[in-house]
Amino acid sequence: MQVNEQLLTHLENLSYLKVSEDKRQEIINQLSQIVSFVDNLSQLDTNSIDETFTMTNQATYLREDEPMCDSDINTNIIKHAPRTENNFFIVPKIIE
Amino acid sequence: MFETVIGLEVHVQLNTKTKLFCSCPTSFNHKQNTNTCPTCLALPGALPVLNKEALKKSIMFGTAVGATVNKTSFFDRKSYFYPDSPSAYQITQLYTPIVEHGYLEIDFEGGGKKTIGINRAHIEADAGKNMHESDYSKVDLNRAGTPLLEIVSEPDMRSAEEAILYLKKLHSIVKYIDISDANMQEGSFRVDVNVSIRPKGDEKLYTRVEIKNINSFRFIQRAIELEVARQTEAWEDGVYESEIVQETRLFDQEKQETKSMRTKEEAADYRYFPEPDLLKVVVPEDMYKEAIVIPELPDEKKQRFMDEFGVSQYNASVLTSSLEMAQFFDIMMQEGISSKNAVTWLSVELQGRLKNGMTLTSSPVSAKQLGLLVKRIEDRTISGKAAKEVLDFLMTDNMDVDVAIDKLGLKQVSDLGAIEKIIDDVLSSNPDKVNEYKSGKDKLFGFFVGQAMKASKGSANPQTVNEMLKGKLNS
Repeated sequence: MQVNEQLLTHLENLSYLKVSEDKRQEIINQLSQIVSFVDNLSQLDTNSIDETFTMTNQATYLREDEPMCDSDINTNIIKHAPRTENNFFIVPKIIE
Repeated sequence: MFETVIGLEVHVQLNTKTKLFCSCPTSFNHKQNTNTCPTCLALPGALPVLNKEALKKSIMFGTAVGATVNKTSFFDRKSYFYPDSPSAYQITQLYTPIVEHGYLEIDFEGGGKKTIGINRAHIEADAGKNMHESDYSKVDLNRAGTPLLEIVSEPDMRSAEEAILYLKKLHSIVKYIDISDANMQEGSFRVDVNVSIRPKGDEKLYTRVEIKNINSFRFIQRAIELEVARQTEAWEDGVYESEIVQETRLFDQEKQETKSMRTKEEAADYRYFPEPDLLKVVVPEDMYKEAIVIPELPDEKKQRFMDEFGVSQYNASVLTSSLEMAQFFDIMMQEGISSKNAVTWLSVELQGRLKNGMTLTSSPVSAKQLGLLVKRIEDRTISGKAAKEVLDFLMTDNMDVDVAIDKLGLKQVSDLGAIEKIIDDVLSSNPDKVNEYKSGKDKLFGFFVGQAMKASKGSANPQTVNEMLKGKLNS
């Protein structure tokens, strides 16, 4: 997969993030490296392996049903959102 | 002639304290975006950890509908892009759900039963909520990650009536086993209807249309009827192929019609694959043992009311139609009263007095109090008429039933000595009437009862007076 300016713009749109001009080439290079690293995986023959295979045969951990919520965290998250209003995240108008 | 084919998907919000994959509290009507954390906001690096209770409640449901519980199940990732889901996917169970192959029975009003298959029930995470303004949209993620059990029926229903009976039975089962608040208005019991038609006798399934998000039984019934009419008309006009497509439609309650929302994405668009952030789900043996011991189900309760208390089939259906009423009745019966009286005092006297949005749950008179009040009629402490006064009083001034009876001075005289004295006085002061009665004028009996009641100022137990008078006059 070729990571270029066009794909980066597409990713910016999808992620609702903005990459500044001086970082664009660096990000394109990094993304290209990640993609080629992941491409290594396609060399493995996985035909005989079940799709739910994991490195461990353990079952998923079960959590007790006890509420816990740190309001500092979600206040901080809201504070860093690109746009908010009255504690709502604001996103571009959703077209049905 | 056409036959209607209906399948139902119900999203039941499980009433756990926390979300499915994080410890955020589940909430309704809390301030927006206060019950969130890095996991349900899908921040990079945050991982899901499964809520034990959600798994247990799902197994309880499987038990209630006689289903297979998969001791090993898996989560899958369903990709979709919409701002109500920060992760851009939903964690659900596509390939191996926790519950499969169950059924429930629906009872027709005029008698008769039908078994409706339940194809599967799987655990998944709910999305957040969007609110649309004129030029932007607002997102509240408090609901994101709330545990849902999606219950999918077989396409076994053949009419809107059958669909409603199925939904009511399902609703009552989840309430009885206490796995959900199942409040349709608040969205904790959400129904999607799949409707198609076919010529009678045809075994093939034709194009199904999905109708989403209808929030009352009445509107569901109406939406199905309208959709069946639309499809039938298209078939008869020869435009079925072009008009009826696999799509999602919304019910417009004002215009009384269903309208197209979007054409259904093909399953492939969701790019399902096994959820890499969770290992397989294995039900621990001790949890399984606990989860299969479930509270009494609606049908069992109904049968017990008939067998144990001699309640008629009709009354048993009415009593068990809501868990609150069934529990109220059950507690009343602990006073050892007659079921006939209990039913009347519950359904006529008490419910007739519950006004201004009061329900059995918020009733000022408890089941124990009402049961005791009925008992006081049966043990002849008060008359039925006096009991209505006591009930009126208790609706506004809550106190112990016996204290209220005393306070209102409604206690009947059941003291046999006192009543005997009154009767003896009545008889000795009316010797001529006694002679007339004894020579055959039966009608005078009422006169003696009246005199005795009057002398007691209405407080004598009428039944005791009757019996005693009869004994004396006929000796």
